[in-house]
Amino acid sequence: MLSRLLSLCFGCLVLAWTAAIAAQDQKGTLIIALDTLGAQTMDPILEARAPHTHYQAPVFDSIVGFNYEKGGIGPGVAERWEMAPDGSHWTFYVRPGQKWHNGDPVTAEDVKFSLERTMSPESVSSSAAALRRNIQRIEVVNNQTVRVYTNGILPYFPESLSRAVFQEGQLMPKKYLETAGPEVFRKKPIGSGPWKFVRSVPGDRVEYEAVDYPHWRGTPHFKKMVIVLVPEESTRVAMVRTGEAHIASISPESIREVEKANMRVVSVPGTMQALFQFYGLYTPEFQQSPLTDVRVREAMSLAINRQQLIDHVMYGKATLPLPLSIFRYSVDIDIKRWETWSREALRYDPERAKQLLTDAGHPNGFAMTFVNTALPGTPFMTQIGEAVADFWSKIGIQVTIKNIEWGSYQPMMRGEQKGLAGTVSMFRAAGRPVAESRYHSGLAGKSEGHLFGEERHCATTCQEFERLHHAVITERDEAKRIEHTNRMIDFVAQTWIVVPILEGMGYWAINPKHVGAFRPLPGRHELGDVFERIPRSEQKSWQ
Amino acid sequence: MQRYIIQRVLQGVLVLLLVATIVFFLGRLTGNPADLMLPEDATPEDRQALIATLGLDRPYYEQLYIFLLNAVQGDLGVSIRYRQPAAALFFDRLPNTLQLVPATLALAVGVALPLGMLAAVYRGSMIDKLAGAAAVCGIATPSFWLGIVLIYVFSVQLGWLPSARMGGMEHYVLPSITLGLFLVAGLMRLVRSSMLEVLDTEFVKLARLKGLRELVIVLKHCLRNALIPVITLFGVLLAQLVTGAIVTETVFAWPGIGRLTFEAVLFRDYPLLQAVVVLDAILVLGITLMVDILYAYIDPRIRYS
Repeated sequence: MLSRLLSLCFGCLVLAWTAAIAAQDQKGTLIIALDTLGAQTMDPILEARAPHTHYQAPVFDSIVGFNYEKGGIGPGVAERWEMAPDGSHWTFYVRPGQKWHNGDPVTAEDVKFSLERTMSPESVSSSAAALRRNIQRIEVVNNQTVRVYTNGILPYFPESLSRAVFQEGQLMPKKYLETAGPEVFRKKPIGSGPWKFVRSVPGDRVEYEAVDYPHWRGTPHFKKMVIVLVPEESTRVAMVRTGEAHIASISPESIREVEKANMRVVSVPGTMQALFQFYGLYTPEFQQSPLTDVRVREAMSLAINRQQLIDHVMYGKATLPLPLSIFRYSVDIDIKRWETWSREALRYDPERAKQLLTDAGHPNGFAMTFVNTALPGTPFMTQIGEAVADFWSKIGIQVTIKNIEWGSYQPMMRGEQKGLAGTVSMFRAAGRPVAESRYHSGLAGKSEGHLFGEERHCATTCQEFERLHHAVITERDEAKRIEHTNRMIDFVAQTWIVVPILEGMGYWAINPKHVGAFRPLPGRHELGDVFERIPRSEQKSWQ
Repeated sequence: MQRYIIQRVLQGVLVLLLVATIVFFLGRLTGNPADLMLPEDATPEDRQALIATLGLDRPYYEQLYIFLLNAVQGDLGVSIRYRQPAAALFFDRLPNTLQLVPATLALAVGVALPLGMLAAVYRGSMIDKLAGAAAVCGIATPSFWLGIVLIYVFSVQLGWLPSARMGGMEHYVLPSITLGLFLVAGLMRLVRSSMLEVLDTEFVKLARLKGLRELVIVLKHCLRNALIPVITLFGVLLAQLVTGAIVTETVFAWPGIGRLTFEAVLFRDYPLLQAVVVLDAILVLGITLMVDILYAYIDPRIRYS
């Protein structure tokens, strides 16, 4: 008994000493300038878009976390999880020893509460509807274990609880929220993350203070942190140069300027894929279109010199893509196989492209409409689109470019896709570890993109795709799932209906006088889950 | 005078109603905010659920009726993006914009008035030509470009002033110059033409014949009369300054109502956009009314007509 007491005291002393050391080592203020702060709300259920991973992530942990080395998912608040043998539920095991900023322990009840709150009617969270569809009920087994019963087999359910995908897994404090109420929580939020919330000035900034104890995500090196909203890019760059900000989000156009000024550029790999896709080719109306011929579509891919796009449009800060929505951190993928495929299939070969056009009966090319657009956060897509159209005209295709702002483009995608059907269009795949959802949302008959066919007109290709996709999402065995996934990717790649152009990155300007070297999370442009690992300039780099 | 004010207020209410209706429909022409809030791989069900949560699934006429009914009771709705009362967001940001006004006006008046007077008094001289050229430059210079150039020179290269954001006195210099240059140009041209008109009148000639000093004639007799049209323009410019500093506030990361308007448009935050435009309209109407009343007091011809 005495020895146990002594060990406990010793343990407490070690913890206190570690905390003291950690707190002593925290100095200065880290200032980050961002182009958007989204809804700038500290209530996770009131933010619908990605900016939360900038400004909410420092305060709130997510149930499933990141793989900091490779990208994709890794342990989070739950240190591990497993699917039931019959696939009816997932069990999450909460990491012991976590606490809220008010000192309360993090428990399985908090996990249950957070998921239920995210699914509540007042939630505007972008995938609240998907969670409502997928979760049947949630059961707390004990203080550290929670069981989520799903509607059907959902092999990728844990991924949907990670910020690697979206914000659905953000953890909120049950006891505090129920005692203080949502209004107080929104003004004075507490989380379990490595940064405590200090203040939010609407339209201007959010201030944080580092926790003074070791945190599993990493104990912050800076004492304070301020995320400031600076919408104009040249102002953000100026602020980094003058030291008013230490890190700022930038676009590829600013890379040269930043490097010339002896600032550092950090690029985040695999945040998106720029691609072109063909709408409505399955409809009887477009059966005579040259675009229905798979050889023509392949020729259009071979006509693009991707390396030139990477060098000149993206200033060298982009890479050759893998197949649609596949990144080097994707799960259930044979990456090596697809890297080989990419080098061969996505090569620049204008001679072969011309030959394919001749074989398809279009030796002198043909006329077509190309709808160029840029999705939010990636304005450089329009420049990529213009360059791609130029490559096509070199193999004889007469391209009419229609530039359409994303806000007007998106409604055109719905229903009969008037204005888009029969055209080629720019699009994007966001960096996500799971490919199947992107395949489904772009290609399936019931989806918004429905590139293979509509629900009512789901012909052979569309049906085959849906069969392959179904096999992926219902397979419990990992090895078999990898097999199914590769088959689905292969099938889609052979159709050339949606063609990756390049793999883009997120870009940050860094002032090296204030910030040491650090590595961002592959696929996650936002740095909200990295801030605590960013060293001060005089500290050892995190590489 | 009382009747005149009541008449103007009633006119103002009608204008507000019209503005509210126009902005309601214009906002919706740009599309649905749910499209900007959802990721590109969201399902149609996700979209429908969000639209219902945002209360945008009702017919337009019903939404307009609810908006107008609530607006006359002082409730301008809840921002879709911020999930806070839209009017509260406007009044949170208004003081930030108002803080820019005194420095900008001081700059505009301090430069435009003497320059306009000198250009008129020395008509056709080098001063007049230089002032004219400066005015053209001031009007033609896009404020976003000017702002960026000022930041580059005074913050990045010289390191004298901060690049952006609110803070101490030094934070006001660059935004005020950016915002004020346009006003200087307009005001200066008006002061000049107005002064020229007055300098050519009979009473000024009489004053000169009576042997009054030129300085006294210009400052005491001409300037007072020349200021009447200037005050009208001043009112318009003041309203413009309060409601239209979108570019300057964006370049200098100034969290005022200009930026709030920009964000509301960008994110199709209908309730916020409606609230900002209606409250802006109230501000403009209020300022215009005040100027009209002031005008009537300054110019007896208007008071008695």
